[in-house]
Amino acid sequence: MHELGIASSILDAVRTEAARYPGAHVRKVGVRIGEYCGVDSESLRFCFEVLVKEDDLEPLALDIEYCPAGNGTRGDELDLSYLEIEEPETS
Amino acid sequence: MKRVALEGKVLGENDRIAAELRQAFRAHGILCLNFISSPGSGKTSLLERTLEGFAAGTRVALLTGDIQTDNDARRLARFGFPVRQVTTAGACHLDARMVEQHLKEWDLAALDLLLIENVGNLVCPTSYDLGEEAKIVVLSVTEGEDKPLKYPGIFRKAELMILNKTDLLPYVPFRVETARENARGIHPGIEILELSCQTGAGLDGWRRWLQERMETPRQ
Repeated sequence: MHELGIASSILDAVRTEAARYPGAHVRKVGVRIGEYCGVDSESLRFCFEVLVKEDDLEPLALDIEYCPAGNGTRGDELDLSYLEIEEPETS
Repeated sequence: MKRVALEGKVLGENDRIAAELRQAFRAHGILCLNFISSPGSGKTSLLERTLEGFAAGTRVALLTGDIQTDNDARRLARFGFPVRQVTTAGACHLDARMVEQHLKEWDLAALDLLLIENVGNLVCPTSYDLGEEAKIVVLSVTEGEDKPLKYPGIFRKAELMILNKTDLLPYVPFRVETARENARGIHPGIEILELSCQTGAGLDGWRRWLQERMETPRQ
C-alpha cells in the first residue's frame, strides 16, 4: 500500500514538472530511494506500472537508484532525481 | 532525448502541507505529537491513560487513524476531549492532507496539545511528515527486542521510544537491556521510557516528559 502511494506521488510530481515543457513527452523518471525508507523497489516498480497504464503519461519508465546509508547519505532519501524528456521537433 | 535534473522530494506535496501545518501549530503554541507503532503495541491505551490524567478543561485534542472502524475514537471520546477518527479506507498511514482536512473544523486557538495516533504500522507512517513536533514510537514487550534493528527508519526518526506492557516482563522472554541497546545503536540520542498502561507503572515519567515538552518553547 505504501508503494502505491509513493508511485502515485511520483506520477503527480512528473505531471507538475512536465507542465513546464509544453508539447514534450516525459519518457523516464529517476528517483533515489534510501534503504531505511521501507520502500521495496520491486513493489514500487509494479505499482508504478499499474498506475502508468491508466495514465496519459504512458509510456513512462521508472529508474530507481537504491541508496544505502553511509558515505554522506542518511538512507531516508525519497527524492526525485531526473526526467528524460522528448521534445517536439522544431521546424 | 533531454535529461533534466530534479531537486524535489517524491513526497514534496505532503511535505509542503506538513510545513504549513507545523507553522500553524507553532503560531498557536500547539505541541503536536505523532504516535507510531505496530498494531497492538498499546497506542490507544497509552492515549487513554494520558487523557485520564488531564484535568477537565485541558486544551487537548486527538486524531486517531485506522484503516477501518471508529472504535479507537469511541474509546478515546469517553474522556470528554475532542477526538476525530481518520478512517484511511485502506491506506496504511496518515498523510498531511488527511490531518489538514480533519483539523478544518477545529479552532486551533483553543488547543495546546494535539495527539495524533497513526495507523498501526512501523514502516509507512515513517515517511509522512504530519507537521508534528516529534514522533514517538511505542514498542511493547510482547514484540521482539530486535524491532529497532528490523525497522530502523522509525527508530531513527522518533525522539522518544516508549516501552509498553512492562507488567508482562515476567511472562515473556523480552530483554529490556537488549531492546535499549538496539534502539540506541540505531539512534544514540533517542529517549526511552518504560511503562505499563495496565498497572500504571512508569506513567508518571511519561506525564513529566509530556509536561516538559509542552512547556518547552517551540521554534
